[in-house]
Amino acid sequence: MFRTTCMQVGTLCRGVSLLRNNRVVTAGANRFMSSHSTETDEEFDARYEAYFNRKEIDHWEARKAMNDLCGMDLVPEPKIVIAALKACRRLNDIALAVRFIEAVREKCGSKQKEIYPYILQEIRPTLDELGINTPEELGYDKPELALPNVYDVHG
Amino acid sequence: MAFNSLLTKGKSFTALKNAVQIQQLANGHSVGNAMASMTKEKIGSREIVGFGLNGQPYYFDKLDIPMPAIRFKEITPDIQVLREKEKGDWKKLSLEEKKALYRYSFCQTLSEIKAPTGDWKGVVGVSFFGISIALWLFLLLKLYVYPPLPVTFEPERQKAQLQRMIDLRMNPIDGLASKWDYEKGKWKE
Repeated sequence: MFRTTCMQVGTLCRGVSLLRNNRVVTAGANRFMSSHSTETDEEFDARYEAYFNRKEIDHWEARKAMNDLCGMDLVPEPKIVIAALKACRRLNDIALAVRFIEAVREKCGSKQKEIYPYILQEIRPTLDELGINTPEELGYDKPELALPNVYDVHG
Repeated sequence: MAFNSLLTKGKSFTALKNAVQIQQLANGHSVGNAMASMTKEKIGSREIVGFGLNGQPYYFDKLDIPMPAIRFKEITPDIQVLREKEKGDWKKLSLEEKKALYRYSFCQTLSEIKAPTGDWKGVVGVSFFGISIALWLFLLLKLYVYPPLPVTFEPERQKAQLQRMIDLRMNPIDGLASKWDYEKGKWKE
């Protein structure tokens, strides 16, 4: 136990001395700080738009990006949504397109009445062009089916 | 001697393991295949389409991760027809077909996930039931189990106790006696 502690301390000291040597050479290279993203909002939007616009995008990538977007503290810009819908068209997955619009609607949170109509208005040309229905048109804005309790299903 | 026999046992065990492995290889079952077949047992012919929650091929409906890793339903001839049609113009799909395709990929819509279950009514009911049982128990204990309160709880005794506390000048700085006017013989205004 004592030996292990000594070794640990020794390793730590070595690390510190290395650090000091390094600092002389390259100042600031070894500071223990979290790295902050310097990406602007425009760059972020452009990155996701370009990601969805890639010709060779597959189901996995599209869904991962959508899930990621849903995990962020933002509502995707209409241009990202449009790019995503077009990606769904290339993947031949209309369910994914509807689901993503639903997810964007959920992302509006308490401002749903303000943000969601704006997004719908912006993506309307794309919806008409691709023949995608909004969740409202499909009746998915309100609960449609009830899910039986799993404990009742196989009872 | 014992050590020796252990060694031979260990050897024979290794040999057995090797033999099993060889047999498995001959049968075409490697470990990877076993895991794949376990997954297959669970998800059937449902298509794996994404990462989902943690990369495992499970279906779940979740508001903050709306795209699960696999489709909800297995492919059937009906769905196969729809999927072929989906490759064409989506405007040619009817509303019912679009909804069928949606339910092929997903179990619940997001608003269905958010729909209230009404479970709170049962919870409130059971809580009140428990509270009422406790109250009845208390009443019954009070009526049939506990002896009557001691004599010190009678109002005259309580008054006498208070008078004695005043006479003894208890807590004269900011407590009881500080509120009693000893010259006038009554409580201070």
